[in-house]
Amino acid sequence: MPSICFYFEVHQPMRLNKFSVFNIGNNNTESTYFDSQLNKEIFIKVAKKCYLPTNNLLLNLINKYDGKFRISFSLTGTFVEFCEQFIPEVIDSFKDLFKTGAVDMIEETYYHSLSSLYDDMDEFQDQVKMHGQMIKRLFNYKPRVFRNTEAIYDNRIAKKVEEMGYKGIITEGTEKILQWRSANYLYKPINANLKVLLRNYTLSDDVGFRFSARMWPGHPLTADKYANWMAKSEGDLINLFMDYETFGEHHWTETGIFEFLEHFPGEALKHDHLDFVTVREAIERYETVGEIDVPWAISWADADRDVSTWLGNDMQIACFNELKNIGKKIKESGDRNLLNTWRRLQTSDHLYYVCTKGMEDGDVHKYFSPYDGPYDGFINYMNIIQDFKHRLY
Amino acid sequence: MRVAMIGWEYPPFKAGGLATHCYGLTRSLADKGVQIDFYMPKTKHATGSDKKNLNIIEVGETEIFPYDRPDNKELAGQFFEAVYRYNDLVVSRVKGKYDAIHCHDWLTMKAGIALKYKTNTPLVLTVHSTEYDRSGWIYPNQWFIDIEKEGMEKADRIIAVSHFTKRVIVEKYGINPNKISVVHNAVYPIPEGHKQDIVLFLGRLTIQKGAEFFLRAAQKVKDYEPDTRFVVAGIGDMLPRLITQALDLGISDQVIFTGRLTEDEVKHIYGISSVYVMPSVSEPFGITALEAISAGTPTIASKTAGFSEAFNNCLRVDFWDTDEMANKIISLIRYKPLHQTLSKQGKQEIELFTWDRVADKTIDVYNEVI
Repeated sequence: MPSICFYFEVHQPMRLNKFSVFNIGNNNTESTYFDSQLNKEIFIKVAKKCYLPTNNLLLNLINKYDGKFRISFSLTGTFVEFCEQFIPEVIDSFKDLFKTGAVDMIEETYYHSLSSLYDDMDEFQDQVKMHGQMIKRLFNYKPRVFRNTEAIYDNRIAKKVEEMGYKGIITEGTEKILQWRSANYLYKPINANLKVLLRNYTLSDDVGFRFSARMWPGHPLTADKYANWMAKSEGDLINLFMDYETFGEHHWTETGIFEFLEHFPGEALKHDHLDFVTVREAIERYETVGEIDVPWAISWADADRDVSTWLGNDMQIACFNELKNIGKKIKESGDRNLLNTWRRLQTSDHLYYVCTKGMEDGDVHKYFSPYDGPYDGFINYMNIIQDFKHRLY
Repeated sequence: MRVAMIGWEYPPFKAGGLATHCYGLTRSLADKGVQIDFYMPKTKHATGSDKKNLNIIEVGETEIFPYDRPDNKELAGQFFEAVYRYNDLVVSRVKGKYDAIHCHDWLTMKAGIALKYKTNTPLVLTVHSTEYDRSGWIYPNQWFIDIEKEGMEKADRIIAVSHFTKRVIVEKYGINPNKISVVHNAVYPIPEGHKQDIVLFLGRLTIQKGAEFFLRAAQKVKDYEPDTRFVVAGIGDMLPRLITQALDLGISDQVIFTGRLTEDEVKHIYGISSVYVMPSVSEPFGITALEAISAGTPTIASKTAGFSEAFNNCLRVDFWDTDEMANKIISLIRYKPLHQTLSKQGKQEIELFTWDRVADKTIDVYNEVI
């Protein structure tokens, strides 16, 4: 009997201020790197459209179905900082959800960074620990399942995550690693003792991307139709992983996304052989059925399902390397402010805005970007990195 | 299909994008089997066609150019008379049965309208720029506007070179949007040369093209990138003022004014420049940007420039924001990955902008009126 595993990524980046070459070397404080006004505006807007109403709806659904409806979250550190700064009630509502016992929390890097791709894994480990401390502080809980930034995954990362004591890891159910096999089972990394949860990208994207697409043959997607698709699925586990902002932000209220969510648990539970699990329950209940070998990093981003979204052109690679290479110097300086700024600059979104991939992926990038295109994104980010280096040397 | 096209300039003689457009369009139309008679004023340079179904027909002489203003001293107050005289001449010279008459911009609009009624033939009008663009939206001349408005009203179909221009035609001239098709221009790619530390402006030195903003940005770049040279290529009524401005800004050592360039010189300077800047106050399309990009030269263009509606791999600025213009120039000089990516991706995207595509879309428009 397949279990439905709903998991939501909750993240907001610290967007950057407009920073020109003329600002390099003549700034007083790192706080001018981050556009607090814009960040506040976006956070409050998304909190009202998505976080608060969706948390409220999910809490009602969990109560209504007596804990049979179960979900998982991962909250990034930058997101939590915004909550605490602008609307602490958002954090309270996540705490309320967690207290029901039907909600699990997932570990990741505090800064939603690409530190897992650095030459050595110290910085990655530090950022995961920071996230662990935050979850401990907020929920008094230690997550068992890890999800790296945008599900970036390879053998090296799996090994490290195992060493750090996690029992499960999330990534994309792409054919690149599965070939003919189904994403609806747990797998074991070829080199680590972990259980890998694989995103069922078709069913996930039916909601995440296609819900309001009128051209899509599945439109309009109703709760009973979606539940029927689940009921007909083979396997142990249907992993539906998506951005939390799917609800109310990527798809507005008017599309019917909230009615869909409201009715889905009831429709799913009408099928006797379906139930809901959190990510932790999934790895406790099910066994792995095979091995996966991932020598090159995959992710759930774009059509390529690799790291080209962040490291696909020379501009992105230049920013990534420049920032990475000053890490040692920053740590030696022992300056906590510098360290914090360096880490905030590592948030993967800054590189995402510099992606030049065209066509449909490009449209998605445009939707999320605060810049007029990837080149402006690069200039601004690179100018800030140069100023930051200037401060260091 | 037989088309009488009435133009004003045609390579090797040219003063602007209109000539480039007519050249690319007529040759690609001819390749697609359309019979084109291209009527234009007699020029000092030999003009001709090597294509059987494309005839270049010269009809007498005139001293007027499409970018002239009535206060042109050489015409000594004869501007309007010269325009009317030339249009009458064209009307008398166009003979034979055509499926469509196709005019470009205001200069031959009178002739186009007269021919439409005289020969009972549908009229197609391509708008490359309007009086609002050419005047930089400062004191547009009502005489041009009236001619343009009459032509737009009488034309059976209008081709605008951008959505930006279509909006102007609808909003400023009150034309029904349903009879306007947008066809973006194209480019014959120019070979990339050995890049030097040159930032290029190339265009008519008129209020419309915004060279003064280029010079202000150059001054801001100078202290940060002292080895960079700024080239202002082209001629126009603003030239003396721009030279004075460069002196006042203290950048006369960094700026080179080339005067008029030959076609080969233009290609050469596009090829060896590292950055092209198009700070136009108003730019219906901006073929020069496509030319620069085709030569592997990253381009900074006005946000409103028509081509950038359909083009991704370029940088955009407000023409008046010379701080941002300088920021982008310096970034292109300093950050090699930015320069390389824009150069490479720009050249790739340029491949979509072919005259073949322009001809196809133009034939679609002909088919709507025939």
